[in-house]
Amino acid sequence: MEVLIYTIAILGLLGLSGALILYITSKKFHVEEDPRIDSIVSMLPGANCGGCGLKGCRDFATRCVGGEAGKLFCPVAGSEGMAKIAALLGVEATAMERKIAVLKCSGCRQARPKIYDYDGVNSCAVMNSVGVGTSGCSFGCLGCGDCVEVCNYNAIHIDMDTGLPVVDPDKCTACGACTTECPRHLLELRPEGRRKRRVWVACSSRDRGPLARKVCASACIGCGKCARVCPFGAITVTDNLAYIDPTVCKACGKCVGECPTGAIHASFELPKPAEK
Amino acid sequence: MKHTFKIGGIHPAENKTASLEIDLQPLPTTVCLPLQQHIGAPAKAIVKRGDKVTRGQIIADPGGFVSAPVHASISGTVTAIENVIMPDGRTAPAVVIKADEDEHQADTEARKVFWVKIDEERTLEDIIGNLNADKLRAKIAGAGIVGLGGATFPSHVKLNAKDAAPDTLIINGCECEPFLRCDDALMCRWPHQTLEGARLLMRASGVKRVIVGVEDNKPRAIEALVKASEDMPEIEICPVKTKYPQGGEKQLIEALTGRRVASGALPASAGVIVNNIATAFAAYQAIAFDEPLIERIITVTGDIPADMRRNYIVALGTPFSELPFTLPENAMAIIGGPMMGRSAVRLDAPVTKGSSGLLLISHPTNYETQPCVRCAECVEACPMGLEPYLISTYGRLRHWDDARNAGVADCIECGSCSYVCPSHRPILDFIRIAKIRSRK
Repeated sequence: MEVLIYTIAILGLLGLSGALILYITSKKFHVEEDPRIDSIVSMLPGANCGGCGLKGCRDFATRCVGGEAGKLFCPVAGSEGMAKIAALLGVEATAMERKIAVLKCSGCRQARPKIYDYDGVNSCAVMNSVGVGTSGCSFGCLGCGDCVEVCNYNAIHIDMDTGLPVVDPDKCTACGACTTECPRHLLELRPEGRRKRRVWVACSSRDRGPLARKVCASACIGCGKCARVCPFGAITVTDNLAYIDPTVCKACGKCVGECPTGAIHASFELPKPAEK
Repeated sequence: MKHTFKIGGIHPAENKTASLEIDLQPLPTTVCLPLQQHIGAPAKAIVKRGDKVTRGQIIADPGGFVSAPVHASISGTVTAIENVIMPDGRTAPAVVIKADEDEHQADTEARKVFWVKIDEERTLEDIIGNLNADKLRAKIAGAGIVGLGGATFPSHVKLNAKDAAPDTLIINGCECEPFLRCDDALMCRWPHQTLEGARLLMRASGVKRVIVGVEDNKPRAIEALVKASEDMPEIEICPVKTKYPQGGEKQLIEALTGRRVASGALPASAGVIVNNIATAFAAYQAIAFDEPLIERIITVTGDIPADMRRNYIVALGTPFSELPFTLPENAMAIIGGPMMGRSAVRLDAPVTKGSSGLLLISHPTNYETQPCVRCAECVEACPMGLEPYLISTYGRLRHWDDARNAGVADCIECGSCSYVCPSHRPILDFIRIAKIRSRK
């Protein structure tokens, strides 16, 4: 009985003194934190994807409260989310057009047959560091899916028929993880466009036409037909490669049908060309 | 005790079965000369389509300080300056030269005369005349000489290390890569000329002594060099243990001088300049005969008939496919040695300054990758004292900062870790990625 009393007394005292230390330290070292930070964090996606260029969502929220709200933009939360945050902080909201990642390569298995076997690691970065890729195109997609691996939002998958990654426009948040991961920089963030209409050149080959055609049937050969047909002057051809300026492009789709190799892709159905 | 480096190292099967003879590969009628055959800024073409060029004429000027000119390796007409396909399948700008029948004949004759003339043993004083170190370096730069061991770093930049005041020139004749024998063959065939080249490099860099390191699996070469160096007091021939990567710059410095080069520092900081034996020979050709770097010795070996495993003197720009070999069944082609060479997918691509060998392997073994068992074989094998399994994992998981802190920048990409891994893990592949990505 005596043992029991001593035990209870000693443990009780220990617990009490521990509680006292905790109480004193929590009072003495209390950190005053703006409660708005927590509420902003709850408005953010919480994926810590780095799309804003900062270390994570909490860092973003802290900086917003710290007076940088006007300069920062979370592409995942979008203009709507930013408006909410701005309303909470009582500042003017930053708005930006929603962007979507597009693949600048259209070399599917049929257009770009395999010319040799690769038995190394299934990683685009490794494949790019040891060679040119099994198709022989030194600019195009390697198809190992490094972009799929880094996407935090499950927005990319590899199409089994073409062997190319496909971006789901509804899930893509334009965080930019895939654009930095791709060893050949084949993914580009382009504005979603009015009524979700986007047109882009799905090729990155800077080789001369004949050389590019040798490895890929749907390569941009830099012929400039698209640039001539574009009514808005949105297309420029540099280094044998066409580029459509998304700020000028009105997504009329004229260039898509004009391209002899089918290297220009559109996010919408084009009217069928008239029978001749 | 034999000279060697202390940490790590492996001893892969040597497979040095190629003949030690050197044959003269006939000149091609068309050559593609890439503008970037060296590390640094690409050269700038100074000829245009339709121009007539002669063998040895400069066709591209260096594009910066760390750069080297390119010379025409045959006489003929420039038919194009365009992107051509390189062995790895990538395209790169190159000058294409085509020779007609007469030009081809004349070149072949002149070349024959040159390679006979090189046999006569000329002495240093006779060659050097009144050239001082600066003029020697200028001549080496003008001849487009780069490190012929494979790294292709412009030699004149390396030799100009006055600020660091080096005292020793190391000539690397290790050839620690399995299969390759081009340096071995060169040392057996032209030991005197090679050592005179080494003395020229010594004069050009202003150092006082030369150590030639040769692995002890090349007794013929060592014997020939020792005999040739009898009346060259500043040259010391030093056999080193046969161990990979003995020919690595930092490894060889440690083996021969006992000095360690600090992490991230250049060999000159330890008072040493390292040059390849073939570079010394190229310097001899450039200064004794005014012959720029337009040809190199290359080993063709692997799973091909024994009489085809030979060394050839090849004009730069010759397609690999013109070399006499039969492609084995289900072949894998490697430019360079099996440890550090790059696999090639296009053999119609040109031979460049950095191609030391063409290795043809039939039915390459494709091992199944197993999980890492933490046996630390790779740690033991790493000649730089790194932890390859750890850095490789950082690379796979994209932890670039951790990889940098683990010292990935010191990796010399020798491949010893991947070689010894009992789980056949692609260790080096991910380290290479980590090395690139953690650089920023």
